[in-house]
Amino acid sequence: MAQPPAPSGVAAAAGAAGGASPLLQLADLQMYFPITSGVLVSRHVGDVRAVDGVSLTIEKGETVGLVGESGCGKSTVGRTILRLYRPTGGHIVFEGQEITTAEGSTLRGVRRRMQMIFQDPYASLNPRMTAAGIVSEPLEIHGVGTGRERRQRVRELLATVGLDPDYGDRYPHEFSGGQRQRIGVARALALHPDLIVADEPISALDVSIQAQIINLLERLQGEFGLTYLFIAHDLSVVRHISDRIAVMYLGRLVETATSRELYERPLHPYSVALLSAVPIPDPAIESRRRRIILIGDVPSPSNPPPGCHFHTRCWLRARLGNPERCVEEQPALREMASGHAVACHFAEEVEGSPEQVLQISGDSPGASVTAAAITPTTATTATTPPAPTPGALPAGPSTPQQPVPRRRERS
Amino acid sequence: MHLLSVNNLLVRFRTHDESVFAVNGVSLDLDEGETLGLVGESGCGKSVTNLAVMQLLPKPAGKIEGGEVVFQGRDLLSLDESEMRELRGKEIAMIFQDPMTSLNPVLTIEEQMVETIRAHRRVSKPEARARTLELLHTVGIPQPEARLRNFPHQFSGGMRQRVMIAMALALEPKLLIADEPTTALDVTIQAQVLDLLQRLTTERGTAVILITHDLGVVAGMTKRVNVMYAGFVVEAASTADLFARPRHPYTVGLLHSMPRLDAQPGEPLIPIEGVPPDLRRAPVGCPFAPRCAWRVEACWTAMPPLDPIEATQVIVTTGPNATHRIACWNPVTPEEAIAARPLRAGFEPAAPPTEAVS
Repeated sequence: MAQPPAPSGVAAAAGAAGGASPLLQLADLQMYFPITSGVLVSRHVGDVRAVDGVSLTIEKGETVGLVGESGCGKSTVGRTILRLYRPTGGHIVFEGQEITTAEGSTLRGVRRRMQMIFQDPYASLNPRMTAAGIVSEPLEIHGVGTGRERRQRVRELLATVGLDPDYGDRYPHEFSGGQRQRIGVARALALHPDLIVADEPISALDVSIQAQIINLLERLQGEFGLTYLFIAHDLSVVRHISDRIAVMYLGRLVETATSRELYERPLHPYSVALLSAVPIPDPAIESRRRRIILIGDVPSPSNPPPGCHFHTRCWLRARLGNPERCVEEQPALREMASGHAVACHFAEEVEGSPEQVLQISGDSPGASVTAAAITPTTATTATTPPAPTPGALPAGPSTPQQPVPRRRERS
Repeated sequence: MHLLSVNNLLVRFRTHDESVFAVNGVSLDLDEGETLGLVGESGCGKSVTNLAVMQLLPKPAGKIEGGEVVFQGRDLLSLDESEMRELRGKEIAMIFQDPMTSLNPVLTIEEQMVETIRAHRRVSKPEARARTLELLHTVGIPQPEARLRNFPHQFSGGMRQRVMIAMALALEPKLLIADEPTTALDVTIQAQVLDLLQRLTTERGTAVILITHDLGVVAGMTKRVNVMYAGFVVEAASTADLFARPRHPYTVGLLHSMPRLDAQPGEPLIPIEGVPPDLRRAPVGCPFAPRCAWRVEACWTAMPPLDPIEATQVIVTTGPNATHRIACWNPVTPEEAIAARPLRAGFEPAAPPTEAVS
């Protein structure tokens, strides 16, 4: 493959990167899955637009979290990066090398440097192979070392992930869920990869085991200088592990920001709703919090709504009097502050999550004291006081289209 | 009199060559209109306890081997199957994690809801249908008239769970057991369903047992919590008390091992080391002892009783002033609960007795 033709999207996506070359760049990545019809002759009748124009840059050594609800295309992004699929459009550039259409030995060479950890530690390990065989397989495929060296390396790897090296000749069913996920991690580490795509690596594990695997991944990142793309639906976990977070909705990125920024100052109405919906294990805080309850379900990716994909459920659009622009024009991901990009025509109307969530519910100001304490007052391009905003309706009774604020009655 | 009293419940699953010790003496009380959270990891016995209350344990393996279940003064364990049938749905209803497996896939929503209502109430089909429509409307199903003739697979996960809630509340039960009702749902849909559940049960004064592994859901939805581990209740308190002053090492461990959305950046997680015990072995001592940093010698040999944390004349088991009780020989102090480790000088977790080493 030739050097990338420096597509404009890549340059734009580089954004915060500065001069250093990023490890991975996605530019306007599209992955459509065809829907066919017919028995003898299959006709192409439509597409599931799993990934519909995603631009994302991942720097060496950082952890990028990709969050979204089921069906938003986050796993497809991960799989497309590893070229388990051939993208419908756009570019994947790994360390300056275009791999969008790479094949054969070029692709194998790149894949050696990108590995994946899967969600289900029961389904992702071959039940007929021993733990050592599973961890050794990547080494064999890529012809690394002699048999003796491989056996030594497997023992090292098992020890690195916190398993007894003597367990190597056991089969997956003899391990617990957490231990199996450790085997999956050891397999991913075998070839000294640069990038690890972790697709919901802890969702199938028990609560007390999840923290063990998160800590393991964090330790390994420090030891081996790994770069992670951490795909998950759980914002608490993603916020904990990620340096930057990309929020995805129906095949598109709606917001990218640092973990801290996203939590303190979400700018996309979807991110605000998502953050408000995550329960916090503290009854004192929960009784004060208000939820933005989104109406309805995520639309089908085979027939996404026109314009902004989120407009059918958007609480902000309802408050602004349902502007036509949301239906007619697809919002581009635009940078509102350094490293903080959002795809919303009216992101200026969104200001700081906790306060606005309280505003929407028309709550007494007393409860917003803590919210104010954690909302930064630094001026950014998006700072808009809620009261004088034309079209916005602070502290009023809900109109029928508005989301129903969740009130917690405590007696 | 409590609405529900479970006393020293023992449930075992027996197969041809081994036993699973699923519930090892669980006691809990519930008043009318109360919300109780049952928290624990998979296999801790929280679901089995409730299946035993409903007498829906898988047969023939699951057996209630001891204890009693008293609901509105009636001993449920002495009822026969037809009496239990009369009670299920009408007095105690249940919703499950996966609505797809609890709805009948070959019947329309109308058919199964009308059937449920007519099984317990002497009403005509049109009356039952009208009631069904009203219920679907209450739980927020758009265009209920059109949706009546749909099959379960034509609904999304969130909508299916709404249908389940509508069916569960159709007969205005006194008690609703919700077993991980939102675990299979996305977080924005979870917020919708929890909101609905809370609104409807508060309006009708329905008592709720909410089974979940998610401490966040418990914090927002319940007034009282029982924490379970390996078939035992290890800590019981009002929700506010439990989160503010956790005293059992397992509860403290759970709270520290979950990343919180509002945590300070860079705050490390403190996992609970080790794995839950193998329930195929009869419990000896405290089941949490092998993973516990606070364990003392007694923990290896004797299961501590669920006792109040402070000496008290009267133990209150229900209501907002429920006595804070734990089953622990060496409770965590408030300072230790924050640090998530024992702070006493020179304290070392007791080594296992030599004969009990597995």
